[in-house]
Amino acid sequence: MNKKSAAYIIGFMIVICVVFGTGVSVVHNATQDMLEKNKRFHRNRIICQAFLLRVSDESAKAYAQAISEHIELKAITDGNRIRNVYRRIDPENPAIGFDFGGMGFWDRIDGIIVFTQNLEKIINIQFFDHKETPGLGARIEEKWFTDQFKGVAIAWNKDASDRVIIGRATGTKPDNQVDAITGATQTSMALKRFLNAELERIRALKLD
Amino acid sequence: MIADSKKIFKQGIFSDNPIYRQVLGICSALAVTNLLANTLFMCFGVIFTTAFSNLTVSLLRKHIPQRIRMIVQVLIIASYVMMVDITINAMAPDIHRFIGPYVGLIITNCIIMGRAEAFASQNKPIPSFLDGIACGLGYSMVLIAIAIVREISGFGTLLGYALPATDLWWHQWTIMVMPPGAFFMLAIVTWIARAKFEPKE
Repeated sequence: MNKKSAAYIIGFMIVICVVFGTGVSVVHNATQDMLEKNKRFHRNRIICQAFLLRVSDESAKAYAQAISEHIELKAITDGNRIRNVYRRIDPENPAIGFDFGGMGFWDRIDGIIVFTQNLEKIINIQFFDHKETPGLGARIEEKWFTDQFKGVAIAWNKDASDRVIIGRATGTKPDNQVDAITGATQTSMALKRFLNAELERIRALKLD
Repeated sequence: MIADSKKIFKQGIFSDNPIYRQVLGICSALAVTNLLANTLFMCFGVIFTTAFSNLTVSLLRKHIPQRIRMIVQVLIIASYVMMVDITINAMAPDIHRFIGPYVGLIITNCIIMGRAEAFASQNKPIPSFLDGIACGLGYSMVLIAIAIVREISGFGTLLGYALPATDLWWHQWTIMVMPPGAFFMLAIVTWIARAKFEPKE
């Protein structure tokens, strides 16, 4: 058969795509359970970190146990999406957390934000998933960055886009401001934008 | 045609080393070498992809239409990289979280495309497979050397295990954890290797 003919080229490409596509699918299916397990483990670990829960060891079982003992999970309808709401079962130290997310610089960023019971202060913020640039925007999940949010007061009396400020603020450093990431201005700005939008939606939620 | 496997390994690892001779694959060499464990997974990915993409391209070399050979090579390489990416994600999710973006970038690693085009498309399967392993080993050797120095000087650990009596002799060298540390180390390795292995006129 003439290798230069269009029919040969198209046929060859179809065969190659089917063979290698099948190969990738086989590997994916073979590891599906492990991937799901890893995803659950990662999520549980992030929730424990967000609520500052003590975990007996680093195993998946320990994280799952800590969550089942200390966290009450409820999924509520928020517009056209389902939002997870987490409550720490501790009468002396109550906290409420919400899944939050939005568009980062490259792709969607998803995380969890934990507040004091009255939503006045942030207790912690952690990220489940993002696709930001490694070494730049990806630094949002580094401890120095997330630690800045601990104790930040939400300025509910201010404009909806400035309740939490990431980056430069006018005047002396206000209670609702954290530093942006050098070299990742777009990621910092995107985080500020969707975090403030999510705060507005979270406040409007009907929680019983 | 180069059939002698000794010669293939000597070329891939030393005289035609992809990092310090051809200066290819530098992006990942700089990015993943601050911890040895990350480096080992990356090296596994590159060796696997280079070897099997070379083997596949060589097996198909008489059937691949010349006009679309590059597209076919990229498709083959991308498929192997996806398999590696999924496997690392399943087996070592914490390491994958850090090196994941660079594993994906193996697709565009010039070492792999270069060997597929320059060697595998003109040689028999076995030498091509060996050439892929040799080039992967050449890349890995340099990365592992850099990673050992960076992890020890930056973290005082090796493969995550604390080195003995670090409080007596070790002082954190922060720059080694950061990208400039990789630049300096790569330059030093290149300098030493070229001085030692470059043929004298």
